Amino acid sequence: MEILKSATAGTLESSDCLITVEPGTGINLELSSSVMNQYGRQIKATVLETLERLGVANAHVTVVDKGALDCTLKARVECAVYRSCDASAANLPWGGVIR
Amino acid sequence: MSDVVESISPKSRDMAQVEALLHQEGIRLDQNLDYTCGIFDEDGKLIATGSCFENTLRCLAVSSAHQGEGLLSQIVSHLTEYQAARGNFRLFLYTKVKSAKFLADLGFYEIARVEDKLVFMENRRTGFGDYCARLAAARREGRRITSVVMNANPFTLGHRYLVEQAAAENDVVHLFVLSQEAGPIPAAVRKKLVVEGVADLPNVICHDSDAYMISSATFPSYFLKDSDEVVRTQAALDLEIFKKIADTLGIQSRYVGQEPTSHTTCLYNEVMTEKMPGMGLECRILPRKTVNGQVISASTVRQAIHDGKLESVRAMLPDTTYRYFAGPEGAQTVAALQAAENLIHH
Repeated sequence: MEILKSATAGTLESSDCLITVEPGTGINLELSSSVMNQYGRQIKATVLETLERLGVANAHVTVVDKGALDCTLKARVECAVYRSCDASAANLPWGGVIR
Repeated sequence: MSDVVESISPKSRDMAQVEALLHQEGIRLDQNLDYTCGIFDEDGKLIATGSCFENTLRCLAVSSAHQGEGLLSQIVSHLTEYQAARGNFRLFLYTKVKSAKFLADLGFYEIARVEDKLVFMENRRTGFGDYCARLAAARREGRRITSVVMNANPFTLGHRYLVEQAAAENDVVHLFVLSQEAGPIPAAVRKKLVVEGVADLPNVICHDSDAYMISSATFPSYFLKDSDEVVRTQAALDLEIFKKIADTLGIQSRYVGQEPTSHTTCLYNEVMTEKMPGMGLECRILPRKTVNGQVISASTVRQAIHDGKLESVRAMLPDTTYRYFAGPEGAQTVAALQAAENLIHH
């Protein structure tokens, strides 16, 4: 999928994360987390894997994590990506690339 | 459990609560806000608040009785979402030095600080770093390197005089044109007229100021009236950032035009004269250039164009600027100027 405009999803509350996706070249991930030392690598891997699954090859992604679980991270990334191409209103591929 | 963040209308009675809460936490209610929100407790008492102005977050406060409950993160989440809805993803904020660490936890990074007063932050880890890297690409070596910062609204012979003096007395001149959109002449036009107007000076390099010099983020009171105290603090912050930019390019001094009319610019010049020597930068204030006994001023030029009397200020304008406004290319900008009401800088 192509990132057409900037979009965000999530919040900064505990156990959540705020994801911002913006148009960019290549994948550029900017991560800050309250549990960076413990889970930084795992968060990064989850975000990158979700982007790959959605077929996003070019994006600047900012993640401000407040201890979100993997499932939350995935959901927030998916939501931000679909919002960024105005595809979040209808016909989401549930069971397809959104698992 | 998550509390509800409610928007607060500027005219509602809750605004008095906002002001009281800010006061209690040692913050002054900003005069220029375009959105305010808050969280109330069960008794309808305001316990946390935050506001926006353009692409900045302002006046963030949590009642001391409710700190540590994660209210600030709810306020900042709400404001971030609100900003995203109006297309602002790159955000800036000021905060008190002791609160900076909480905002750092919410994804904000420090750009500069005025010791004991405030910290200026943005939500991009490499925002300011990237800007400096872009500038560094245009770095040029020389024995004497200086700078000029101008709004050039529009570029006059007065601006040209300042740049000429700087170019004659130095090896390299870094010329920054403010990127902030303010008023009827678009930033791109202002920049273009500067670039054309100094094209014959080989040692002058033009740059965009981005959001990091005299923008609505660093220096909102430059664009909207505020008290002298506020202007001084914001000017001091602006200079802290300028110092970092100066270090990137090896800038040793800055040329400034004397300011006879605009109160805010006059204060800014005063702060520059006070602070810059301490930063190892020289501040050279030059008297305004006059033509036929009249001081050249961009305000006068804007007013004349507004009144349809471009010819009356022809002597104040370089050919490039005059041709733009007289020709078809500038027609749209002229129309915008003529439709505008207040053209004089406070």
